[in-house]
Amino acid sequence: MRVLGIETSCDETGAAVVATGWRLESSVVESSMDQHRDFGGVVPELAGRAHVATIGPTVRAALAGAGLDARHPGLDAVAVTTGPGLVGSLLVGLAAAKAYALAWGVPLVAVNHLEGHLYAPLLETPDLAWPVLTLLVSGGHTQLVLVEGPGRFRVLGETIDDAAGEAYDKVARWLGLGYPGGPPIDALAAGGDPHALALPVSMTGEGLDFSFSGLKSAVVRAGERHPVAAADVAAAFQGAVVEQLTRKLRQALGRVEVAGVALAGGVAANRALRAATAALAAEFGVAAHLPSPAYCTDNGAMIAAAGLVHLGAGDLADPACGADPNWALGA
Amino acid sequence: MILAIETATTACAIGLADGDRVVEALLAEDRRHVEVLTPGIGALLARAGADASALTRIVVDRGPGLYTGLRVGVATAIALADATGAELVAVTSLEVYAAAAAARGVCGALVAVVDGRRGEVFAQRFALDDEVVALDAPRVLRPRDLAIAWATDGTPVTFVGDGVVRYASDLGAVPNATGLALAWPPPASALARAAGRASGPVHPLYLREADAVANFTTRDRP
Ligand SMILES: [Zn+2]
Repeated sequence: MRVLGIETSCDETGAAVVATGWRLESSVVESSMDQHRDFGGVVPELAGRAHVATIGPTVRAALAGAGLDARHPGLDAVAVTTGPGLVGSLLVGLAAAKAYALAWGVPLVAVNHLEGHLYAPLLETPDLAWPVLTLLVSGGHTQLVLVEGPGRFRVLGETIDDAAGEAYDKVARWLGLGYPGGPPIDALAAGGDPHALALPVSMTGEGLDFSFSGLKSAVVRAGERHPVAAADVAAAFQGAVVEQLTRKLRQALGRVEVAGVALAGGVAANRALRAATAALAAEFGVAAHLPSPAYCTDNGAMIAAAGLVHLGAGDLADPACGADPNWALGA
Repeated sequence: MILAIETATTACAIGLADGDRVVEALLAEDRRHVEVLTPGIGALLARAGADASALTRIVVDRGPGLYTGLRVGVATAIALADATGAELVAVTSLEVYAAAAAARGVCGALVAVVDGRRGEVFAQRFALDDEVVALDAPRVLRPRDLAIAWATDGTPVTFVGDGVVRYASDLGAVPNATGLALAWPPPASALARAAGRASGPVHPLYLREADAVANFTTRDRP
């Protein structure tokens, strides 16, 4: 089986072709991030406009990359993200996906964006051993998910307030580093002293939920008490975020039997988090799946992979379906 | 076969031309464009005993109008054209309204008025005599300013469009004015208007910069 995956939930327009065996045949991503930087966040109207302009060329490039004829691609389904995300962005991908499915006479598969992230490691490690404990961290989400296998997963914990990526953005704004905040803080932190600033460690309990909203105010308070270099603030903040994420990962590893740990989502490109996760996996003697940054961030390949899972289970979408901007993982 | 896609208002409608025979279908009136559009196209094709491979040309209304509706219509048209090899042709909501008025026997000065939301309309002037001729470019303005422009002029005028319903009090104050309320631009008029027009890439016609929309959103927030 061979599936076209379409992703337009936020600022990335993604299209990819994945075949049985998690064989990635093409993946194309166009981002409108450059248009959002000055606004300090993704502007829904800008994102929606960008998707309309890029959806056709992106799908065309993905089909061509897989060596498929746009008129007779011989696909088995079109999979598309229908939530969660920005409704105006989701609608563009869904409208296009429905039209391709009608024209090619193939079924439509509706994919939860977060479930898509869980399958990203398969694109680089098709034979990976399950179960996998996945830390899904992005600008909009922070969740700890036990993936028993394709289509079988359970959310063990999630943030009770801000997403990890959101905390990065807030601290970066305070430091005047621009948007999005992850990459500049990661770069700055490399030259800073994480101990120059004492930050409280939140959520020391036994639960597997996360909390990041207090961290930003703590950074501001501590920074105002003692003037510290921006690099030190970045290092201390990043240290506190990574410490909280890996502590919960460690607690979860003590409770469930898994074959590997994985990172997913935009924050999974963070070098400190990758290093800490790799060390933790080594300590527990399990595999570490750290997808290349291209598969950590939003892309069509992970949606195509999820499409294969659902197509295999006969789980097809109603052609009259709509988008669900608040679709929770597992709901 | 030629397909027309109409999503510039809260309504979603389509039209299918098979030779001289044209059928229209209203799919929804309540902003459910993404839900109903493609299933509606499939059903209309099936009724004609055809499938999408029979499409040779796709005419899409690129606005101005409801932004989310336009994006659904244009994205659908782009995908259908790419997947079938059909030609892609754009019309504007304002010219389709003008063509629809002409088809209903309206002559002389005409202003097509599409609800632009945020207290504004998208408008364009036309002269309807033997042909439908645009007299200016589509623009965005307050309905009151549109009314004042015509009230000071005084020539008989017909206002046509979904904006006529929403802004009846402003536009109705214009002397010598007639209102033709059409809740959506008719796909049959889009098919007629697009006849012989060259195909090419299509982009929605927004008439407002996206950052202006973003600022509106910020300002509207309580
Ligand atoms: Zn994502």
